[in-house]
Amino acid sequence: MNLTIGQHYPVDSVIHRLDARTKILAVILYITAVFMAKGIAGYALCTLFLAVCTVLCRVPVGLMLRGLKNIIIIILFTVVLNILFIRTGRELFSFGIIHITTGGIAVSLRLCVRLVLLIVGSSILTLTTSPIALTEGIEALLKPFKKIGVPSHEIAMMMSIALRFIPTLAEELDKIKKAQTARGADFETGGITARARSMIPLLVPLFVSSFRRADELAMAMEARCYRGDVHRTRMKSLKYGRADYASYMLLFLLVLAVFVLRKFGV
Amino acid sequence: MDFIEGGDLRYDYTSYDDETNEKKTTQALKGVDISIKKGEFVALLGHNGSGKSTLAKLLNGINMLSGGTLYIKGLDASDENNIWDIRQSVGMVFQNPDNQIIASIVEEDVAFGPENLGIAPADIVKNVDMALKAVRMEKYRLSSPSCLSGGQKQRIAIAGILAMKPECIVLDEATAMLDPLGRQDIMNTVMRLNREDGITVVLITHYMEEAALADRVIVINEGRIADEGKPSEIFAKVEKMRSLRLDVPQITELSYIVNKKIKAFPADITTIDGFVSAALKIGFKEGFSYKKEKKRRNENTENIIEVKNLTHIYAEGSAFESTALKNVSLEIKKGDFVGLIGHTGSGKSTLIQHFNALEKADEGRVFFKGEDINADKSKLKSLRQKIGLVFQYPEHQIFGATIFEEVAFGPSNCGLPEDEIKRRVKKALSLVGIDESMCERSPFDLSGGQKRRIAIAGVLAMEPEVLVLDEPMAGLDPRGRDEILSNIKKMHDELGITIVLVSHSMEAIAEIADSIIVMSEGSVEMYDTCDNVFSQAERLRAIGLDVPCMTQLFARLRSEGLDVPENIYSVKEGADILISALRV
Repeated sequence: MNLTIGQHYPVDSVIHRLDARTKILAVILYITAVFMAKGIAGYALCTLFLAVCTVLCRVPVGLMLRGLKNIIIIILFTVVLNILFIRTGRELFSFGIIHITTGGIAVSLRLCVRLVLLIVGSSILTLTTSPIALTEGIEALLKPFKKIGVPSHEIAMMMSIALRFIPTLAEELDKIKKAQTARGADFETGGITARARSMIPLLVPLFVSSFRRADELAMAMEARCYRGDVHRTRMKSLKYGRADYASYMLLFLLVLAVFVLRKFGV
Repeated sequence: MDFIEGGDLRYDYTSYDDETNEKKTTQALKGVDISIKKGEFVALLGHNGSGKSTLAKLLNGINMLSGGTLYIKGLDASDENNIWDIRQSVGMVFQNPDNQIIASIVEEDVAFGPENLGIAPADIVKNVDMALKAVRMEKYRLSSPSCLSGGQKQRIAIAGILAMKPECIVLDEATAMLDPLGRQDIMNTVMRLNREDGITVVLITHYMEEAALADRVIVINEGRIADEGKPSEIFAKVEKMRSLRLDVPQITELSYIVNKKIKAFPADITTIDGFVSAALKIGFKEGFSYKKEKKRRNENTENIIEVKNLTHIYAEGSAFESTALKNVSLEIKKGDFVGLIGHTGSGKSTLIQHFNALEKADEGRVFFKGEDINADKSKLKSLRQKIGLVFQYPEHQIFGATIFEEVAFGPSNCGLPEDEIKRRVKKALSLVGIDESMCERSPFDLSGGQKRRIAIAGVLAMEPEVLVLDEPMAGLDPRGRDEILSNIKKMHDELGITIVLVSHSMEAIAEIADSIIVMSEGSVEMYDTCDNVFSQAERLRAIGLDVPCMTQLFARLRSEGLDVPENIYSVKEGADILISALRV
């Protein structure tokens, strides 16, 4: 079973080695910067930052751009809509109800760049961080919110168990599908109701087995003294290194620079 | 005080009736007295539903007792404050390796227990190192559990317990879902922990050969202790064990039958070595000789399934690429009973899925009665009717609201008229020994063995000409295994269905099949009659398989100078020969 969850691309790089918390917060700061950027200089700075990260993380650029392929339609759609409906600035072309203006083009170009920057930027997080590290990072970052009732440990535990069981359940579904096919079941033809009905022999066993697994897993966890986040330690506690502090500094500078540029309107 | 001491243990399950919401209490344990010494190795036997798992779960504080007293290393198990100490001292390994691994990386999973105990990070690392070393899995520290074999996963589960530094390990049918190599792996690990590190072991199993290794056997039946003693003492009571839906090792059964006729021969032997030396002590009659003709191959020339140069590669072109089948060619004759053996990963399951086009060949062709099965896609449905395939753990694919609906699924997919469907369901149910009056009940309420028979009936109801079964006995208790096996035999003998039986049990295959396909690393290693396959013990052992127990024994006797053949498979036949061979 070949499932690429979060498309983690395991190579050794400066960015891969960063603490997961750093990377999550960095993405948030970076997104802030991108949203704050107004003029060409701001966008250029963000793009430069992204380019440096892309080189540093040693993930093939082709692979990263492949992530864009799935959303290219959304980008094109928004761009076209903006061009058609924003009517500021000088009119360049008009035909019937269609008016294309300089303002429209400027806005949609900006939007397009912004979307690309956001998507490529956040994909660096998932490409360079393993799902486990990601959940650990989320747990650690949510910890301060525990006091106001956010179950940070439980959320992280649920996420990591879900990740652990995706391949198991995918394999199981494949097996059930084959077994029912061997009994003459047909999942491909027929109308929508027939197809929905044909899912019953797949979904019922899958649900039954998921409940059985959940039950057994809970028992196994209890047998190993699990009682939630009570007196719990971690084998590997997250630790910030020099690279992490450096990254935070860099991100702050980026946000600050974009902010200043915005004030000057460039 | 002993490490575990329980008196008059009781445990009740409470359930509520779906319709009337009435409270129902089921007594799973009805007064069990048990004591286990530190460092002891105890096997717990009992048929499915006898209460042995319930007892095991009392021992590590997962179940709280309903009555009686239980002390574990002096701690009162009925006191909720003690349960964390008890769970730390008595670890538990469960049946399904997939459902007890929590993390996606081996070392993180092993660390889960110590993390829960709040041990300091530096010490956790030490415990994890120690535990992985104890189960010889250091190499896999950073692997993903989903890449490991069943036996390796169970060793990780054991390591996860060991990392908590327990004094006792309870294995609740931990070998039931493993292949023979995996089982061997686990038993070696457990024996080593018991003998070298002094860890107390409580082993629940349906494999009598495993129980024979224990210091003491406790037999549970209907929530009570039915018997208790050394393995040899317990297994010598063949009839009593049978009446409790259990079994005894074949060697013990043999010595028991021989003892009935020859009193000087001990009735309680559990090992082949022991048997041979007992037999030599009595001695054989001068010039005794027994000849047995080798079975010939089925002379029927009509091929029902023919496989030509089949190659199958999984995930071709990716990093996960693996060749499951390499240029496999074979023929299965109409009316044959073929056993298919090979260890996990040898390509057995992939091969049988090609028989009805569930998997598509990368190269090569498959023929059913001379017709290429992939030639005409529109005929696939009717082809799958003719070649029934029963997957491993088929009860996991049950979905019907009633038994009737479940069994009728196949025939209704074939578009048969209602009368015909009814007739087929009735017939299929009777073949697997399920009473027709149960048709309207939910299949989910049945016991594991019954569910499996319902699932097999679901395939039989399509009235296939070939029935392929992938390890139909896996995970059942001894009686359940016998029932399924005799059902299959009936389908072959009475209905003339061609059978392909995949199994890890050499004993079962030897007794029931006409010929055997041996697979290894994606190729057919041997395909011959049982006699010819099992006469090549060395070749089988080289690929991680073995010969049946009786064959092993007779080969040993032969090497001791007794003129007997090796192609002996059933206990009864073996006993007849020995009774006439031994000097009285």
